[in-house]
Amino acid sequence: MANAENKIMEALDYQLEDKILEAQKVRPERIFIKVNPDVHKDALKILLQEDENAGISAITGVDLKDNIELMYHVRTRGTIVTVRTEVCKENATIESITDLIPGADFHERETADLFGVTFRGHPNPARLILPENWPGNLFPLRKDAEIENIHSKLENAAVSCENRSSDDGKLVNIIVGPQHPALIEPEKFSLRVDGEIVKEVIPRIGYVHRGVEKATEKRTYLQNIYLVERICGICNACHATCFCQTVESIMGTESPARAKYLRTIVLELNRIQSHMLLLGHAGLEIGFESLFQYLWRDRESAMDMMELLTGNRVIASFITIGGVRRDLKEGDIPKIKTGLTALKERLDFYKELLETDSTLKMRMRNVGILRKDDALKLCVVGPVARASGVEIDVRKDDPYAAYGEIPFKIVTRNEGDSWARLMVRLDEISESIGIMNFALENLPKGPYRVRVPRIVPAGEALGRAEAPRGELFYYVKSNGTAYPERVKVRTPTFSNILSFVKIAKGGNIADVPASFVSLDPCFSCTDR
Amino acid sequence: MSLDLTLIFRALIFPGFAFILLLTFFCDWAERKIEARMQNRMGPTYTGPAGILQPLADFIKLLTKEDIVPNNTKGMIFRFTPILAFSTFVFALFFLPIDGANVILGSNFEGDLIFILALVSVGNFFLFLSGWSSTNAYSAIGATRVLTQFLGYDIPLFMLALTPAFLAKDLSISTIAASQDVPFALFIPWAFVLFIITLQAELEKDPFDVPHAETEIVGGYETEYSGRRLAFLKLAKDVQIVLGAVLVAELFLGGPFGPVLFGLSAFSYTLWFTIKVLFVVMITEYLTCIFARLRIDQVLNVNWKMLMPLSILALAASVAVMLWLSLVG
Repeated sequence: MANAENKIMEALDYQLEDKILEAQKVRPERIFIKVNPDVHKDALKILLQEDENAGISAITGVDLKDNIELMYHVRTRGTIVTVRTEVCKENATIESITDLIPGADFHERETADLFGVTFRGHPNPARLILPENWPGNLFPLRKDAEIENIHSKLENAAVSCENRSSDDGKLVNIIVGPQHPALIEPEKFSLRVDGEIVKEVIPRIGYVHRGVEKATEKRTYLQNIYLVERICGICNACHATCFCQTVESIMGTESPARAKYLRTIVLELNRIQSHMLLLGHAGLEIGFESLFQYLWRDRESAMDMMELLTGNRVIASFITIGGVRRDLKEGDIPKIKTGLTALKERLDFYKELLETDSTLKMRMRNVGILRKDDALKLCVVGPVARASGVEIDVRKDDPYAAYGEIPFKIVTRNEGDSWARLMVRLDEISESIGIMNFALENLPKGPYRVRVPRIVPAGEALGRAEAPRGELFYYVKSNGTAYPERVKVRTPTFSNILSFVKIAKGGNIADVPASFVSLDPCFSCTDR
Repeated sequence: MSLDLTLIFRALIFPGFAFILLLTFFCDWAERKIEARMQNRMGPTYTGPAGILQPLADFIKLLTKEDIVPNNTKGMIFRFTPILAFSTFVFALFFLPIDGANVILGSNFEGDLIFILALVSVGNFFLFLSGWSSTNAYSAIGATRVLTQFLGYDIPLFMLALTPAFLAKDLSISTIAASQDVPFALFIPWAFVLFIITLQAELEKDPFDVPHAETEIVGGYETEYSGRRLAFLKLAKDVQIVLGAVLVAELFLGGPFGPVLFGLSAFSYTLWFTIKVLFVVMITEYLTCIFARLRIDQVLNVNWKMLMPLSILALAASVAVMLWLSLVG
């Protein structure tokens, strides 16, 4: 790993020479470099060329009073390289990198909405997170933003985002969302259809934007654990783990070995129930109600295990800074293992079903194909990327919790269609069961948490975790108080949602739910 | 005068309107219960014993809801298609022998099979119109899907419905039903199986329920309907399912005819009729449970590339069986 980092640094040094203002390696797998605003694009280009699987993870903005700091987090060779640059707050503009890597599209639009940075040359600089009638000069994540009495400030301009279409009335507008039976959560996708064929997809998110990132700045670190858990109900343990790990790495605390194993168990249980939820939901979307009913019944056993382990069925509230909040009783281990064995048997049945059922295959095979090069360009993460043959998994690339010590393999497929995305998840459940069994058998003795002070020393850190839907990304900046200066959350669906535009285009209307559900979208995550 | 009273009783109470309505609600309940049990659920439990009154409760609930007619709809068509579709399907049922004779005594005639099949198409057309007049994108797509699907599936349905007519050497449905000492399903199982599959498409059930695929086009042609019009639209769908099941029972399972129990012919014929209809409902529900929904192009592929040629073959084979039977007999 250290070798890979040196290579990255060499490449940057060689090609940019003295344009790098500052470079530091805070820990393995984390490099920060600082450049001037006009150089960031060259630096990113070099980094993206370094590795064929390279992609952009997130763009973080931080308000530095006079300037706005922009951080481009690039994942390359298993390392996160952060290219930081500062733009003046008064006239915040910077060159867009969407032409370099299309996956940066949403990240730039989000930053533009929340920080008021203009990205020159962005192909579609429309609102993404904030509503159309939001005041044009109010950027909520800037420190000086006054969001009190916001309702009186709202403008009366309800601009529709569908006025982009250029056909002469030949296409029919089908609007999927914000309220639609295929979507459980509210987001809008305007489909322009010709008969039954989808010609264009215009996504619009932000319908459930709750400003969690802003809210974290008003709460202590301890309170924030429970806040970030509520970003997503399904992968709550993953959010909490990722946040706690990030804060721990600012503090320099290491959680005890037993806590790491317990975290791993909860995270994998989280993955199991999330994947089963999705697979059942996929059945519902393609009109296969029986599959949905069966899978969700079997999912109950995973929920019961979660309750046994954490005391809660859904929001676990199990993970805390410095460890976990509850120990696993010795007597409960056999119960969980029995449950896992039963689950494994059911999985074999579902695998056979997914592989052999003819109507299911007719609906899922060769539907919504995302080719490997597109997957890389759009920077998709998690099972969506793995089903297109991109072998990325944070658990392997950047091991956290106990994943470094537990053997498991990354499930990949090369088909890239909706069916492959479901199969990847099904096989991942089996892997998760293996991981859990290993962790339960090799659970180290000892304390399950260490006490940490409430005040976090000044500093910053990046955290990554493999949520059920893919790479979850946290950036936390501390100013030496009990309240964080900035918490950035980039959820997996935010990265994956762009690929829907790609895979739906040219397909059938009937394929829209089938391909959409295979991305496992979670909008409350996306909007935060 | 007494004759008129019988006529009114038969048309309105038994085996006419009231009985058909009750049978529809009963079949709806059976469907929901069967599907639920197959999917490991409870199904309706609350209203009446084992939830048997649930379909009635749902119907009444819809009747009491506000009836909204959106501004853009094509007024008259939008208003009347639900009730027209419903009456067409009920009217078709009047020509089928239920308690051993037709609802209106002596209304059977040579060729009423064709007439009933035509009524089925007309009813479907009303469903299409209901969606088309809504001028809503979801309804319009749902309506075109109804039309595409029933244009395709009507042809095999007609051909397969004719196979029993060949065997019975008669085009009257009561004669066909009466001539089955042994159900035709045993003589020509291939036609029976194909007819059931075609019926799934005709009734818009899985794997052919594309016209109201709620995850794609919300409510399909029903999207803009509410209140009592929606109630009748839904009832029309349920009657259509009963009609389909009755057609299978009449054509392939011997209709209401079976051994007479306790010397009560009308009672036992109705009993046999209901049992056979329930049997068909069970098969269709089973098929619904084990399949995912196909796409509209796949639906049409199945129709033109599979069911069409197969139904022609089935017809030819059935004629051969008929010839063989007449030689043996």
